[in-house]
Amino acid sequence: MPLLGQLALALALILALYSIGANVYGVRRDLPDLIASARHAIWAMCAMVTIAMLVLWTGLLRSDFSLEYVASYSSTTLPTIYKITALWGGQQGSLLFWTWLLSIFSSIVAWQNRRRNLEIAPWALAVMAGVAIFFLAMLNFVTRPFAILATIPAQGTDLNPLLQNYWMSIHPPSLYTGYVSATVPFAFAAAALITRRLDDSWIRTTRRWAIFSWFFLTLGNLFGARWAYEVLGWGGYWAWDPVENAAFMPWLVMTAYLHSVMIQERKDMLKVWNLVLIGMAFGLTLFGTFITRSGVISSVHSFTQSGLGPYFLSFLITIAVLYSALLIWRVKDLRSPAEFESYLSREAAFLFNNLALIGIAFAVFWGTLFPVLSEAVRGVKITVGPPFFNRVNAPLALGLIFLMGVGPLIAWRRTTPRNLARSFAAPVFFGVATGLCAFAVGLHQWYALTAFSLAAFVLGTILVEFRRGVSARGHLVAEPPARALVNLVAKNNRRYGGYIIHVGVIFAFIGIVGSSFFKTEVKRSVKSGESFSIGPYELRYAGLDSSETPHLETVRAKLIVTRAGREVAAMEPAKLFYKAAQQPATDVAIRSTPAADLYVVLAGFDEASATATFQVFLTPLVFWIWLGGLVMALGTVVAMWPNVRERAAIAASVRGRAADDRFAPQPASGGR
Amino acid sequence: MPRKLRFVIGVGLMMAAVAYLITTAIRSTSEYYLTVNEVRARESELAGQSLRVAGRVKPGTIRWDPATLTLEFTMMPLPRAEDDAAVEPVATGAPVLFDVIARGEPKPDMLADNRDVIVEGRLSAPARLNASQVLTKCPSKYIPDKKGIPDNKG
Repeated sequence: MPLLGQLALALALILALYSIGANVYGVRRDLPDLIASARHAIWAMCAMVTIAMLVLWTGLLRSDFSLEYVASYSSTTLPTIYKITALWGGQQGSLLFWTWLLSIFSSIVAWQNRRRNLEIAPWALAVMAGVAIFFLAMLNFVTRPFAILATIPAQGTDLNPLLQNYWMSIHPPSLYTGYVSATVPFAFAAAALITRRLDDSWIRTTRRWAIFSWFFLTLGNLFGARWAYEVLGWGGYWAWDPVENAAFMPWLVMTAYLHSVMIQERKDMLKVWNLVLIGMAFGLTLFGTFITRSGVISSVHSFTQSGLGPYFLSFLITIAVLYSALLIWRVKDLRSPAEFESYLSREAAFLFNNLALIGIAFAVFWGTLFPVLSEAVRGVKITVGPPFFNRVNAPLALGLIFLMGVGPLIAWRRTTPRNLARSFAAPVFFGVATGLCAFAVGLHQWYALTAFSLAAFVLGTILVEFRRGVSARGHLVAEPPARALVNLVAKNNRRYGGYIIHVGVIFAFIGIVGSSFFKTEVKRSVKSGESFSIGPYELRYAGLDSSETPHLETVRAKLIVTRAGREVAAMEPAKLFYKAAQQPATDVAIRSTPAADLYVVLAGFDEASATATFQVFLTPLVFWIWLGGLVMALGTVVAMWPNVRERAAIAASVRGRAADDRFAPQPASGGR
Repeated sequence: MPRKLRFVIGVGLMMAAVAYLITTAIRSTSEYYLTVNEVRARESELAGQSLRVAGRVKPGTIRWDPATLTLEFTMMPLPRAEDDAAVEPVATGAPVLFDVIARGEPKPDMLADNRDVIVEGRLSAPARLNASQVLTKCPSKYIPDKKGIPDNKG
């Protein structure tokens, strides 16, 4: 079996090499048959990588410890679900998984473009095959998933207990999906540069891929945060660790890209900037893997350090040099006739939104690399921790939220102060009123006050937009308002999907501000029957309870939670001990409400005297982060939903209409 | 082209603001990231400063009192070769060791003999580190202790 996997990976590498050659030669000599065979080679490569995946999965499910990977990341007692997810629990497996996703996405791109984009698609597929070659070369020669052990151990060393968790099963696949799908817009950008087809067709073709990538980067980051919150037991969800930053930076750049391409589609501006952004987004996905695998930056999550770092760095530098050279070579073709006219315009709002996002990304990058930079320059390693990131990003985040409210309501090109006042009167009032109410009920922390007022302002602008759209429809067709709302969103799903995403971002922002500024903590050592309080809650400790399975031992503490004398919950935080891994772990108990989360950690216990020590956090509004994530996901699905007009445009471009045909033009709604 | 100039100035101001935020934040929040050996070599000048120290837990030194949430252990230097499992403290002269005391935080689950740790805190006395936070490196793969169950389960 392992031999089959190895063979499949070797064939996949050969097929990827063939696909590059056939695509490039075929498109240059105009040989459709050769391009078709290059496409088939991509599908065959996908089949080969799938076989390799299945072989490794079979090994994990059958606990075949002759495979080094299985012996290192699994055990016979590991629950089946984690045997499946152990595929991305270790380095070789996660690279294989990455390659698998890349081969699937390449296959889909080859299918989507079999009859359209005939000039740039072969180049884009060649770029994707080039990326696949790098990963396949790693898997074939450097970090092999099918390495065999000379002596077969009786038991595996088990998956890290911290990874034996629901969120950790879905966090890596989401993040990888987001990382890998960023390759598609990047490949088309490179292909557009190579072929000099520098209109916005590469952006339109890959618009959905970019949103898809953003969607999974968002989910990946949120799942990771949720995992940290539930599993690590420190009461927080984000620690600005290099590993987290590595996932956050591509998200920021991708967000900037999704906004600035709208300016290019609409105004034919910022062409170079968009090409730079997508290059950066793709580069950062590789950079993320590089810093987590190389050990260059010390992270609390040090992954298996391996010789992989230099290879990733070389690949990253090669890509950066080639892409920059392409960009410089074509820069004279990228001049735009249009220019910014007024600060009071949507373009300007988008421009500064871009700058804020890239500013945050740069600050995160700088802070993450600071130990390396300071050692290189001053010879001493200096680190910056969470205080640095919070200080820099807090004001930038406020600016970003402000622009988020301004952007949708302000007109393209220019706007008069009077129009501005009319559009913004209601939302501004809403924001100020929220701020005053919050102040009146005793909220005096200036940052939180500003943040909540701005959040209310943005929600106000979104409401105004929806109301405007509904009433504009009401003038045209007679339909009940609820119906009008549904039709409005369905007809302009990209725009209103975007607004729904903004609502989600605001929810998450409220959650982040609330949980960062108003978190309280209590630590107590108590005997059975004793109680203690935090905020409005009273917690009574009712003893310990231990149990055992072949996989783990559990010691669980029981707490009765009352509020104003009424019992509201029984909470059971626990300590676990994983036998195969010889590793303790914490199982926190969380009671979540929209107002605040009660978060209980069993910090220590003494079984003889039945005393236990608890660490308890009361974290306001953290619930809204996860709700916001859900709303963002919903909005993204709406924005990605197939649109009748867009389909017609694709059909038109297949029939070979003019290339600069406007794609799904944005409707001009009232007031502009 | 005054219109263009206006935007160049706006963008420039924005970039300057980001640069300003970064430099001031670095000045006020940075801390030294040092190894156990480096801290020992510069002990006098580092007294009272906030530090991040990387080292390894000396086997058999972990003491944990769950009732008071007090954790004590001795930290030794990381071996040169990262992949080396067997640890040889630097043989020249007295071994470089630090006593680490952390109060008020639960013991990290991953803390065990020979694990790599990053300790945040200040030097309170020679060779003594008052830790505000003990971070254990969490490897995606680790080699379990074959000698037996670690002494601290709770």
